[in-house]
Amino acid sequence: MTGPDQIAPLIIPDRGEYLKTKAGEGVHIMGVLPALYPRELLWAHGILPAEIWDPPGEIVQANAHLQASICGVVKRGLEFILHESDLITSGYLFPHTCDSLQNLGSQVKDLLDSQKPIYSFYNPKAANTPATTTFYLESLKGLSRELSPDSTELSPEELIPFCELGAEIDQLRAEIMAARAADHLELSNKTFRRLMRAEEYLLPQDHYALLHTAQNHIIPIRKTGLPILLSGILAPQDEILDLLDNEGISIVADDLLSGSRRYPMIPLQPQGDPWEYLSDRYFRLPPCSTQANSLHQRIEHLEQLISNTQAQGVLFNIVKFCEPELFDHKSLVNHFRQCGFPTLKLETELEAHSSGQNLTRVEAFIEMLKERAIS
Amino acid sequence: MSLAGNLKYLFMKDLGTPALLGLQNIKKRSSRPPDQSFGPALKSNQRLKAILSKHYLLARYTPGAKKVAWVTSGAPVELLRAFDIYTIYPENHSALVGAKKLGAAYCSIAEGAGFSQDLCSYARIDLGHLFSGKTPAGKLPKPDLLFCSNNICQTVLYWYKVIAHELSIPLIHFDTPFVAQEQTEHDIQYMAQQLQDMIPVLEQITGKAFNLKSFETILKRSQTSSQTWGKILESMKSRPAPMTIFDAFGHLAPIVSLRGLPVAEHYYDVLLKEVLTRVDQGVGAISDERYRLIWDNIAVWYQVRHLATFFARRKMNFVTATYTNAWAETTGYLDVKDPWTSMAKTYGQIILNNNLKHRQQLMQRMIQDFDVDGMVMHSTRSCKPYSIGQYDLRKILSTELAIPAVIIDADIADERIWSGEQIQTRLEAFCESVEDRSYAH
Repeated sequence: MTGPDQIAPLIIPDRGEYLKTKAGEGVHIMGVLPALYPRELLWAHGILPAEIWDPPGEIVQANAHLQASICGVVKRGLEFILHESDLITSGYLFPHTCDSLQNLGSQVKDLLDSQKPIYSFYNPKAANTPATTTFYLESLKGLSRELSPDSTELSPEELIPFCELGAEIDQLRAEIMAARAADHLELSNKTFRRLMRAEEYLLPQDHYALLHTAQNHIIPIRKTGLPILLSGILAPQDEILDLLDNEGISIVADDLLSGSRRYPMIPLQPQGDPWEYLSDRYFRLPPCSTQANSLHQRIEHLEQLISNTQAQGVLFNIVKFCEPELFDHKSLVNHFRQCGFPTLKLETELEAHSSGQNLTRVEAFIEMLKERAIS
Repeated sequence: MSLAGNLKYLFMKDLGTPALLGLQNIKKRSSRPPDQSFGPALKSNQRLKAILSKHYLLARYTPGAKKVAWVTSGAPVELLRAFDIYTIYPENHSALVGAKKLGAAYCSIAEGAGFSQDLCSYARIDLGHLFSGKTPAGKLPKPDLLFCSNNICQTVLYWYKVIAHELSIPLIHFDTPFVAQEQTEHDIQYMAQQLQDMIPVLEQITGKAFNLKSFETILKRSQTSSQTWGKILESMKSRPAPMTIFDAFGHLAPIVSLRGLPVAEHYYDVLLKEVLTRVDQGVGAISDERYRLIWDNIAVWYQVRHLATFFARRKMNFVTATYTNAWAETTGYLDVKDPWTSMAKTYGQIILNNNLKHRQQLMQRMIQDFDVDGMVMHSTRSCKPYSIGQYDLRKILSTELAIPAVIIDADIADERIWSGEQIQTRLEAFCESVEDRSYAH
């Protein structure tokens, strides 16, 4: 079976090569741990954020510092940091996401005596109220002061162009996601995922250009694949994406922490104060397991995604030991079961390759979806 | 709230529960003979048992009389007390279940309902209780609202979201920015404003108006109780220490779950008097205290007696712990004249919401102040904020202070995680190191 990518390949820069090139050009690169952070602010400070979600390779050194029951994202993040990559020149940013990442940031800074600067950024968890907004605005400005050599925050004029660029990226991404939702995007699951993950390491202008090129892959006719929704922290391994491609299953939308949970459902336009734009953008993000959103809100959001995309099932890809996802999961699955809507949960430790067991489970899930589609 | 419900509650509070508990005491007078390694038991143990039993028993009579909240251990409960809300602490209840070695059974109920075994066992036990109604406390009232703060962990937020969803009840969340370096003015303002924003919500839920005077009285009581608790813990600097940290694990229940109430304030006055008398008389918690240890992390509830005996027989006493200290450490920030910002400082800076440099320095002080010879760290699967960093803390502290240290991997309340032989071997080797070090000195 020929993959759709053979029709019009999309060139997505390799993460390692790209970062090496940029480092060689003197770009300041900051390692950013998951998940939510004000990317526009880093850009405006002349920093390229290189996100650290699941760096490949064996976990060796980190095991001496972390318990066996700590999730792969945290372990791989620490392993990467301990290797003291020369690419990371501007230190590390630890946005507040969960207990494990919270402590990891402090561990690296306070106990492991990192030679590189360590920054933290607290994402407020409380509901959007004037107090929360004020706090978030102050936190943004505080981070800006920390990043500035003279401890002054950026002026609106310095920040606005990057907010505008960010908004254009959001807009382009939303158009591509809409095409994907309608299954009008001629990209394989694997390529589409790589395209989406390019945001984790590309300079905004390169990311914008890549998304612009990807628009050429929007086709006028709907593909014939069976649409599904993907939820969790990260997308599954390539073998699973390939399997879905080969079986004509199309991931038409995602509810991934590394993906769409970081983008407002409807892109905002920066008007007026750029700080307020960044704050508005944060508070309009979709419901997330790591935040205080109710489970009812999450269910409603997933239902909306399903309704928008005509998805026929949900694939949950959950990182082992990830508490926020594991707590939410049962209620989400219960809801879908009551509606007779198929779901499958995969658990991963972020291994390079998928287990045979997971592949078999996905195969069975696909068979079931196909049978349902026929009946 | 109904008149009949109120009358029934008041009757049970003042007459019914004391009578019922008195009858129970008559039935349960026999207890196992004391191990010779221990000194005389604290007299306050019986009082503590009575207070907690009454609290759980009385909870059954709240329907129609009081609103009930399920609350996390680090939440600023004083605000709820100002609205006369009856509070139940699921963490305390889970610890009770764990101590009775029922943790695995309750966890299994939650796991059977679809919750992962990798989740916090306090949460799984609580969900197991929620789905089955089972409890060693007889019966617990269902909550009318939930009140949580992520100052102890983010887990409580995820866990309480599930309960809120299951029971369709409101969840009030107090968001406490993690102290990565030091608390900022905007951290404090954010928390202080959240607390004030909760007032109209609580007024609506309870139908009662907020009374600042009454709130200040509660806050003052809370502060006094925490300070007394701190003095009780300080008494363990004496040689021999008048109690062990395993005693303290039990005696901290009122400061966690009855904080702000007169009963807790009075109880700690009595306990302080007792431990100070023991100090004056040279009465130790173990019969021959030769070595002094520090405990890090939450108790292994289902092994408290075993561990206490294991160490007492080796003449080792745990005289301090980061866990018990948590309810005394930040009390100094409380100020009745400035309730909101002072509560933000108090609740926002507790050990688990503070950075690991703070923890390292705190433990250093405790080791020195309590003249500690060795450190036992419980790395628990259930508590990531307490456990991540322990491997490095152990290395740093044992090197800098030249004391032996051991980490045991276990769990707070799920007894399936306990690897008895492996832990025994590790602890025996640790005890030898403590003895060797002492001999060398």
